[in-house]
Amino acid sequence: MVIHDIVVIGAGLAGMRAAIEAARAGLNVALVSKVHPVRSHSVAAQGGINAALKEDDSWEAHAFDTVKGSDYLADQDAVEILCKEAPENILELERMGAVFSRDERGRIAQRPFGALSYPRTCYAADRTGHTLVHVLYEQILRAGIWIYEEWMVVSLVVEDGICRGVICLNLATGRLHRLHSKAVILATGGYGRVFKHTTNALINTGDGMALALQAGARLMDMEFVQFHPTTLRRTGILITEGARGEGGYLLNREGERFMKRYAPEMMELASRDVVSRAEQTEIDEGRGVDGCVLLDIRHLGEKKINERLSQIRQLAIDFEGIDPVHDPIPVRPGAHYSMGGIEVDVWGETGIEGLYAAGECACVSVHGANRLGGNSLLETIVFGRRAGRRAAEYASSTELKPFPDVFLKEAAHEIALILNRDDGERASTIRHELSSTMNGCVGVFREEKGLKEALDRVRELRERYRKVCIDDKGDVFNTDLQNALELKNILLLAEAICLGALERRESRGAHYRKDYPKRDDENWLKHSLFCLKDGEIRIDYKDVTITRFPPKERRY
Amino acid sequence: MRIKVKIKRCDPTGRGGCEPYLQAYDVDVKEGMTILETLMWIKENLDGTLSFRRSCRSAICGSCALVVNGTPKLACKTQILREYEGAREVVLSPLSNFRVIKDLVVDLSPLWDKIGRIEPWLQPGSEPPEGGWIITKDEVERIDRESRCILCGICNSGCNSQEVDPEFIGPSAAAKVYRFVGDVREDGKRRRLERVSGPHGIWDCSRCVMCNEYCPKRVEPMTSIEKLRVEAIREGLVDNAGARHVEALVDSVNRVGRLDEAVYTFRSLGFLRSIGMIPLGIRLELHGKMPLPHIFPAIEGIEEVRELIRAVEEEE
Repeated sequence: MVIHDIVVIGAGLAGMRAAIEAARAGLNVALVSKVHPVRSHSVAAQGGINAALKEDDSWEAHAFDTVKGSDYLADQDAVEILCKEAPENILELERMGAVFSRDERGRIAQRPFGALSYPRTCYAADRTGHTLVHVLYEQILRAGIWIYEEWMVVSLVVEDGICRGVICLNLATGRLHRLHSKAVILATGGYGRVFKHTTNALINTGDGMALALQAGARLMDMEFVQFHPTTLRRTGILITEGARGEGGYLLNREGERFMKRYAPEMMELASRDVVSRAEQTEIDEGRGVDGCVLLDIRHLGEKKINERLSQIRQLAIDFEGIDPVHDPIPVRPGAHYSMGGIEVDVWGETGIEGLYAAGECACVSVHGANRLGGNSLLETIVFGRRAGRRAAEYASSTELKPFPDVFLKEAAHEIALILNRDDGERASTIRHELSSTMNGCVGVFREEKGLKEALDRVRELRERYRKVCIDDKGDVFNTDLQNALELKNILLLAEAICLGALERRESRGAHYRKDYPKRDDENWLKHSLFCLKDGEIRIDYKDVTITRFPPKERRY
Repeated sequence: MRIKVKIKRCDPTGRGGCEPYLQAYDVDVKEGMTILETLMWIKENLDGTLSFRRSCRSAICGSCALVVNGTPKLACKTQILREYEGAREVVLSPLSNFRVIKDLVVDLSPLWDKIGRIEPWLQPGSEPPEGGWIITKDEVERIDRESRCILCGICNSGCNSQEVDPEFIGPSAAAKVYRFVGDVREDGKRRRLERVSGPHGIWDCSRCVMCNEYCPKRVEPMTSIEKLRVEAIREGLVDNAGARHVEALVDSVNRVGRLDEAVYTFRSLGFLRSIGMIPLGIRLELHGKMPLPHIFPAIEGIEEVRELIRAVEEEE
């Protein structure tokens, strides 16, 4: 057994930022990730990171945009922290080595982004996430933080309400290991792979959320899934909102900029939920092109496209066979981001002593019912840092608690069951059924009938998972086993998503019910909470924190 | 269209030990289908024991590098039909120059170690002014290519110098060095250049251009290495075989308008180490590759050549 002060699970932006902060306190910190840190999905973030840097902008304006974007479901105390701490965090990233794109005067350039009242999004061309992931990885190396690379966490060790470490599977050897620690920080990202058509990496299976739920923590607002308006037709690969921020148009089959009928002021730069619904309506009403609408950036010209949108140009060429310099890109909404996650306070505390969470896997909540573009990278940095700091304070002032043996035995038993089963259903069959169901019934538009069907189907699939069977019985780099373990996680989360969506009888932000098309502040201005009791997900609610911005109607 | 996809496999825990073997799978492929999608289809439908790495499937995470019909590529952005059309077959194997763990999964730790050894973090000389550094677009542009690197290992896999010298810094780490050397904020430039001017460093690159050819993100590591060489000489770091080699070349051209290979060797390696080259010299001589006597008359129009060199030096 290995002992660390703090173990951070997940090596994307939130995890690495938390680890760096905790290591600054002089603690022994380890990062555990099922992929090498630079393979984490944060690397795929394109458009940018928001901060009120300029004199004529203000954190209050940023906070208002964020709260309005959230359809008033965000907790405003958390949003205030996010927006107030944004500028110093951007400057720190630059001190660490990040190279942001510049304006004519050599300052950090900022571009317009969806639902922002000011061009507030800092960026590194259209590979902002890539830039930041590599910079934080450099800082991880500098700090000498130990990395358990290609280790997958299979359970959290929580006893008497105190987290004592984790059980991990070393993918290269197939061996299980105990990591004993005073604190654990979860930063495992989202669950995009619950859906068939998604911008998310194949690794995004919401592992941390599922682990936390099983360990007794609560999830929050799981029904709020962001569908990004511009994803490639066949693959779901992301085309940054920056394409519209730089001036791109959305067109229907008649060549009409249809957004003028949905968001006359902000047009293509309305909030993502609004744009995705508009697109889906156009497609559903027969004004689409082959199940898509068109993103047209031709008028920006080749020079500007190459300077600021070079990656998406290449993606469109490689994956759709279309050069956006010459032709519009067919795009459609795709599952992109989980506003919900592990319920945490503004310091990343989960309610289980010694267990923290940050980034997409957590729900603070700063995004409420709909996240603004450019706020997720910001959240990882701001709240990753805060979780790292608070975990370090805790770990510095507490003793290591005993590590119960039973967790290792249980994990070994669970894995042996899967490995030893010779007859059963393939994990991939179950996964495909799940993701198709979720796309079909729990997408941009939802209604009771479909949601009930989806919930029943998910429960049936969870039952079928008990007989999941894999081909690979070996120890070394057994990705078959890894996929089966991940499937268990997304099945659990899918149930929470369906349940939350079915229960919430209103439309708010990204959650749109055709049978309840209005926002209902009287009954539903509240967060939904999910916990696991006797293997079943139970749902509960809590109030939203409102400080400065009383809810009002949202128009773009 | 149904094609055979052959995959070089190796299962260290299986009966064959690590002995690699080719396994063929029949796959129905469609236009637009990528190698990664093919691998996933095989794993889901034919053979779950096949192991390969993958994550973003959009050419930014660098997980899925492998060798397709002899050329290292990212599986996710490579279309299988394009590969099949040329060769009438598709053979997938793990990256070269790395130890295989299982099937298409290789041990990349030598790559991570090399990246770690160059101290890959910005070392600025001073704190930025309030509100951040002023950096021009041109200054950002200078390290733009190197900033695109996704550390996929493709360049290292194709690198001829790394093949003969596993300790060679390798294209990706070298590009990373330039990412800092070329950064206006960096203060450790000279120290970085000193470190890469030594053995296994930038002068050991044979300039075979494979890394530039193969890089899926157009980082062009060899170009980075050339830029590092120029910077190193500018910094006066010329006390090594590589830099002397360059100086001798310029000198020879300036003197006679062409390369004087024998003198060149003495100048690059110094007298003692050149003695070790005598057997090679003899073999070259026997094959008629060493024209005698080693005295070249200056070429016609040598003055023009010297004029050009002067012009370039003045521009510098």
